[in-house]
Amino acid sequence: MEQSVKERVMVRLERCTGCRSCEIACRVAHSRGGTLLTAVLEEPKPSRRIFVEQAADSPAPFLCRHCEDAPCVRCCPTGALAFDEDSRLVVYTEPRCIGCHACVMACPFGVIQPGRGNGYVVKCDRCPGRDQPACVEACPTKALVLESRFISDRRLRTVARFVEAARGGPPVEDMLASGSPQTP
Amino acid sequence: MNAATPVRTVCPYCAVGCHLDLLVENGRVAGLEYAVDSPVNGGRLCAKGHAALEMLNHPDRLQHPLQRSATGWVPVSWDRALDTAAERIGKILAAHGPDALAFLSTAKGSNEENYLVQKLARVLGTHNVDHCARLCHASTLTGLAPMLGMGAATNPLSDLGRSDCLFFVGSNLAENHPVAFRWVQEAKDRGARILVADPRRTPTAWIADLHLPLKPGTDLALLAAMLHVIFQEGLCDDAFIAQRTRGVEALRASVKDTDPFWAARLTGVPARDIVRAARLYAKAPRASLIYCMGVTQHVLGTETVRACADLALVTGNVGREGSGLFPVRGQDNVQGACDMGALSGLLPGYRPVSDPNARIFFERAWGLPAGTLGAVPGLTVTEMEQAAGDRVRGLIAIGENPVVTSPDSRKTQENLKRLDFLLVVDLFITETAELAHLVLPAAAWAEKSGSRTNTDRRVQWSPKAVHPPGEARPDWKILTDLAHRLGLGSFFPYTCPEDVLEEIRRVVPAYGGMSPRRLATAAEGIAWPCPEENHPGTPVLHEHRFATEDGLARLYPVVFREVPELPDADFPYCLTTGRVTLHYNSGAMTRRSPSLGSRSPYLFVEIHPEDAAREGIRHGERVRVVTRRGTMEARAHVTGSIGPGVVFAPFHFPETNALTQNVLDPAAKIPEFKTAACRLEKMRGTGP
Repeated sequence: MEQSVKERVMVRLERCTGCRSCEIACRVAHSRGGTLLTAVLEEPKPSRRIFVEQAADSPAPFLCRHCEDAPCVRCCPTGALAFDEDSRLVVYTEPRCIGCHACVMACPFGVIQPGRGNGYVVKCDRCPGRDQPACVEACPTKALVLESRFISDRRLRTVARFVEAARGGPPVEDMLASGSPQTP
Repeated sequence: MNAATPVRTVCPYCAVGCHLDLLVENGRVAGLEYAVDSPVNGGRLCAKGHAALEMLNHPDRLQHPLQRSATGWVPVSWDRALDTAAERIGKILAAHGPDALAFLSTAKGSNEENYLVQKLARVLGTHNVDHCARLCHASTLTGLAPMLGMGAATNPLSDLGRSDCLFFVGSNLAENHPVAFRWVQEAKDRGARILVADPRRTPTAWIADLHLPLKPGTDLALLAAMLHVIFQEGLCDDAFIAQRTRGVEALRASVKDTDPFWAARLTGVPARDIVRAARLYAKAPRASLIYCMGVTQHVLGTETVRACADLALVTGNVGREGSGLFPVRGQDNVQGACDMGALSGLLPGYRPVSDPNARIFFERAWGLPAGTLGAVPGLTVTEMEQAAGDRVRGLIAIGENPVVTSPDSRKTQENLKRLDFLLVVDLFITETAELAHLVLPAAAWAEKSGSRTNTDRRVQWSPKAVHPPGEARPDWKILTDLAHRLGLGSFFPYTCPEDVLEEIRRVVPAYGGMSPRRLATAAEGIAWPCPEENHPGTPVLHEHRFATEDGLARLYPVVFREVPELPDADFPYCLTTGRVTLHYNSGAMTRRSPSLGSRSPYLFVEIHPEDAAREGIRHGERVRVVTRRGTMEARAHVTGSIGPGVVFAPFHFPETNALTQNVLDPAAKIPEFKTAACRLEKMRGTGP
């Protein structure tokens, strides 16, 4: 469990259908009541930390990348945002925050937002206390996956291609030599 | 909302056949619930399914029969409307004989309703009954039936999740059957390889391991080259070929010269990728081939379907779980409408009208005098529309919108205007209903009971949840009443859809075991063939023998030809058509649905950036697309997801089919929708 908390959330854009289940799951996970039925009635409205944008004709979910050398951390005058070496997350400590929104301006991804009643600013906290972030759990097409799965999937597919190429029969050019009547 | 009782119905859109649980309150559908325990969709719905109630409760739904008068539409009573219809049909019969009448049946209707349409036509003495399968999977029937004995999907869509290699040819499953695409994602998560042959980089292609962006109309060359590689490298399943097929030598000889380099020149796909695709498909332990309109809607439709089946057969990928041949149907009951014989050449249960035994069987079953049923097939959809106003004097169109869906639609429209009598039965005043003499208001899916057959051959009962709006009536009732008015009451003694299903069971052996009671309680539906009451149904076809006479599949040789209209100096681009995820067929339902229409409100054409630069067209500008048959205006979408030289337009808008060609596949009579030479004109005066 500890391991999964540290993993980044990766996006497989080709699978996103734009259903926004992740946004709802994020709001519910960050509501006071913790259920959809109570969350819809809460004031201020529970905030989401993941955004499904429609860009270049495709839906694309995006959330805090938890940068290791984060612009938001560098510009924070009070140390309210800090990179935590243990969890490898950019952690927000609300009591230190003065609400200057320098981080909102500094974030190149636009995924830190004003709190509007939910603290001064709001950003992804990778759902502490859950086995998996709520957005990953909610994604019906597995467009959102944790880092280790994302990387191992990609590696396995590439290795499979290599293996197939290595023992998958003669290269295409050899088909010419192997006697098939050819029109140039 | 809590007091409402959910009624489990089958979604009225595509052929996946998802369950929709409708919440009925005070006689009105107030909401829907996700059918989480459904074996078909497990609670999932796509955008169209979610928006189904907008169509059901739409304020423009027809509520009364409407008769055309000099001053416009006049609402009339049902008695008056049916009397008028019977009188006008009677006049045509008396003056010109039964073959002057034509019936367009509907894949949106239940099996029972389709059965009644074709029975009405045939009892009147004509085989002029057809429906939109002619425009989508007619080539699947003509292609597969002689090879496998049956022109239907061999396995349920859920088998895609068990497959090791999925080869999509001309199918954009991700957009057009979104709920079924989850099985593709599951397969990919298990390590399956996904191959997609499509001129566009569609959402289906995004997930592919290998995308083969071929030129429209060259699918057959690609398949021939893959067969060539499979034979040459010995990747075929020799045991399967020897034990279960015939004709391999002719096939082998026909693909002797179709090597990947030849195909590369025709298709534009690198030879290397064609070889890779062939190896991936042939070496997979369980491979599935999924094809759709990109294969069928061509002059070469029948041949291309056969090449798909050849590929599946020589690699032994038929008759097993997790592998198979998937012609993915487009409409909720297009499979059922074909099963019921709503086709000009086929009686119920796919029995050809040319077969004397079949004719005698149905003449006896229906109590007709011997010789009533003719031996010559009737007119198909496109032939009816060509002959309209000429040989055909009266047309009865039920839930069809040929003015939008037929090729060269401007010509169709002109012909329909010359009919003596055009009767349209529909939910809305569609583009076709605008031309009608009489329009009858029909009940939508939730307002009538009936069985429907999805693309898995899964027959599901969809019960009535609410009453239709106003005076609208279900098609089966309209047809039965009309038959009575025509003096055919003794042939139509039905009081409910269940009565019709009982008759279907007697005359269509594949439906023999599907009693109304059994269907109504079968949570998963029943896959045909199901000949007897205690038969469990047949989810996987051809496990031990094929449905041919000797039980062996036939392999067909592959012969490639060019498309009929190649781009030239005057019309330098190739126009191809297809679907988008938010719309459905003629758009009669989805363009009226506010939440779908607002997200996809206008007709667009996709143009490759190089072509756009040459024509001076920028993204978002209005352009004119011109073919030899017509002109349309649309908004330009400049995108690299389409190949150079190709232009794509969705066919959900009335303009698109004014451009397509009415050139037919000789066997299937399916039009060449997927290629047309066109030119692009930048529109002047629209400003920068």
